[in-house]
Amino acid sequence: MAQQANHALPNGYRLEEYTIERQLSLGGFSIVYVARDAANVEVAIKEYLPNSLALRGEGQTHPVVAPEHLGAFRYGMKCFFEEGRALAKLSHPNVIRVLNFFRSNDTVYMVMEYEHGRTLQEFIVKHKGHISERFIRGVFTRLLNGLREVHSCKLLHLDLKPSNIYLRTDNTPVLIDFGAARQTLMNEQPILKPMYTPGFASPEHYGPRRDLGPWSDIYSVGATMYACLAGSAPQAADGRMEKDELTPAMVRWEGQYSDHLLEIIDWCLSLNHLYRPQSVLALQKTLVTAVADNVPVVKKEVPTTWINRLVDKLRNQ
Amino acid sequence: MVVADGMGGHHFGEIAAQIAAQTLTESFQREAKPDIIDPFRFLQRGMSNAHYAILDYSFAHKLDDSPRTTCVACLIQDSIAYWAHTGDSRLFLMRGGKVAAQTRDHSRIRLLMEEGVISEAQAATHPDRNKIYSCLGGDVAPEIDFSRKTPLERGDIILMCSDGLWGVMPGEELAVVLKGANLMQAIPQVIKDAEKRGGPKGDNVSAVAVCWEQSYQEGLGDSAISTQTMSPGEVTTKLEEFGRQPGYKAEMTEEEIEKAIGEIRSTIEKYNSKK
Repeated sequence: MAQQANHALPNGYRLEEYTIERQLSLGGFSIVYVARDAANVEVAIKEYLPNSLALRGEGQTHPVVAPEHLGAFRYGMKCFFEEGRALAKLSHPNVIRVLNFFRSNDTVYMVMEYEHGRTLQEFIVKHKGHISERFIRGVFTRLLNGLREVHSCKLLHLDLKPSNIYLRTDNTPVLIDFGAARQTLMNEQPILKPMYTPGFASPEHYGPRRDLGPWSDIYSVGATMYACLAGSAPQAADGRMEKDELTPAMVRWEGQYSDHLLEIIDWCLSLNHLYRPQSVLALQKTLVTAVADNVPVVKKEVPTTWINRLVDKLRNQ
Repeated sequence: MVVADGMGGHHFGEIAAQIAAQTLTESFQREAKPDIIDPFRFLQRGMSNAHYAILDYSFAHKLDDSPRTTCVACLIQDSIAYWAHTGDSRLFLMRGGKVAAQTRDHSRIRLLMEEGVISEAQAATHPDRNKIYSCLGGDVAPEIDFSRKTPLERGDIILMCSDGLWGVMPGEELAVVLKGANLMQAIPQVIKDAEKRGGPKGDNVSAVAVCWEQSYQEGLGDSAISTQTMSPGEVTTKLEEFGRQPGYKAEMTEEEIEKAIGEIRSTIEKYNSKK
C-alpha cells in the first residue's frame, strides 16, 4: 500500500510570527512553505516531517509519531539540525541564508530567505539541450563562489544537483538544500552517511566514505554541467565503475561548445578522484580564465546588414 | 504454514492432525518476534513437540493405539524458504510452471520406485500406496526430512497438500494450473477438481499455497529501500539507511534538542547580524 503523503499546514496558518502562504514543495523528509514574517517579508519555511515516521492527517497541526518510530524521528531531527548548523554559519550571496530556527507543533522549522526564481533543474527541463556556454560559465563561476565558502567552513555539500541549485530571476545561482551536508572535512570518518542522488553523486559516495572530499562535490558540479548540456543526468557513478557508458562531453558536444568547457566537464567527471580538480579554487580559476580568450567557438554566419554593423560598433565600444 | 493429514487407519487421526497443526502454529506465534532465529531448529522442535503432544494425549485418554498424522511445515523468512516433513503430505516448490523441488514421501512405495522395482504407473495403483513408515504420533520416533535453505524468486509458488490432492493430480499438472493464477481462486478450484476426480472413495483433500512476490536479494538487509517510505517526488534520491543505523539509538533528549536549537539560533545571529 502506498504511503499516504502528509498533509501540509493550511494556507493562512499562523506559525509563531509567520503566516503560511502556500506549500512550495513536498519531499520525503520535509515540506517547504512560502510564508510571510511579521514585517510582511516573504520567507521559505522548511518543516521537518519525515513521511515514513510521522503522519499528519487533514486538519491536524501536530504530526503523530508512533512510539516505535520516536527514536528514528529524533535521529532524523538530528540530521535536520545538521543542516541548520551548516547553513547558519554560511553567509554568502550564493548560499541560501537561514534566518530563524524554532520548535513548534512537536517538530522543528527552519526559516530561510525566499527569492523569486526557479531551480536549475526546471531551467534545464525548459531549455532542454539549448543552454548557452555563456550561461553555463556565468552560473557556475558564481556557484563555485558559494561552494568555496561552503568548503572553507569545513563542510561538504554532498548532494549537489540541478534541483538543489536555485536561480534567482537574474540567473544568479543559490545553493539550497544542505540536508546532506556534513562536517566531513574535520572528521576522519563521517558519522552520518550522506544522502545521494544517482547521476550526480561521486564514486566516493558509493565506496569508502573516507575518500569523500571537495573533489566529491566537484564531481557533482561536473555532472550538473553535463546535465545542462544533455538535458538529463549522466550515468550514475556506481554504474560507471562497473561499465563506463558515459560519452565524454568532449566527444558528445564537439564543436557545439568550446573544447575548453568540455574538457573541464570531463575533468570533473573523472572516476578517480585524484584526477579531478582538487579544489574549487583550482576549478574556478580554469573556468574564469578561459572566458576571455576562448568564448565563441561556433560563430554564426551573420549577414552584414547595416543594423548588424551598428550593433558591432556599439559592442566594441 | 503447516498441513497435517490425520491417518484414517488409526483412531483419532483428526485429533493428531489438529495437535500437530496447533503445536506448530502456537510455537510460531510465540517465537517469531518477528524472526525465527534458527528456522530448521524451530521446525525440528515443533515437529517433535507435536509428536510428544500426541503421545501425551493418547496416554491421557488411555487410547489403545496412539493416533498418527503426517505433517509438512514450511517457514519463509527474508525470502528464504525452510521446510520439513514426515509422512506423505507433500510440499511442492513451483517455479515458472514447473516443479522446482518437492518433498520425498516416507512411504515404501517411494522407496520401491526409487530402487526401480516398480514404475510410476504401478505405484499409482499399488495396494500399499497409502502406507507410510514415518509420521507424528505412533510408537517410533518420527523421521523428519529437512529442505535446504531455499531462496525464493518472485512468482514462486509453494504448495503443501495431502495425498488426497497429489494422488489424483501430479505435481507437474498442478504447477501448470497454478502458474500465474490467483491462488485465492485457483486453490479452491483445484481442491474441487481433485475431489471430483477422487470420486466417492476419494481421500480428503487439504492444500495450502503461497505465491512469493519478492525476490531474494543478497545483502538486502538494513539498507533496503522501500518505495512505501518515499514520496512521489523523491524517486531519484536514495536516502540510505535512514533511521536504521546503529547510531540512531543515541537519540536526542529534550535537552539536547533545546541545546541544538539554541546553538543554531545564536550562530544565525552571529553570522547574520547585517540582516
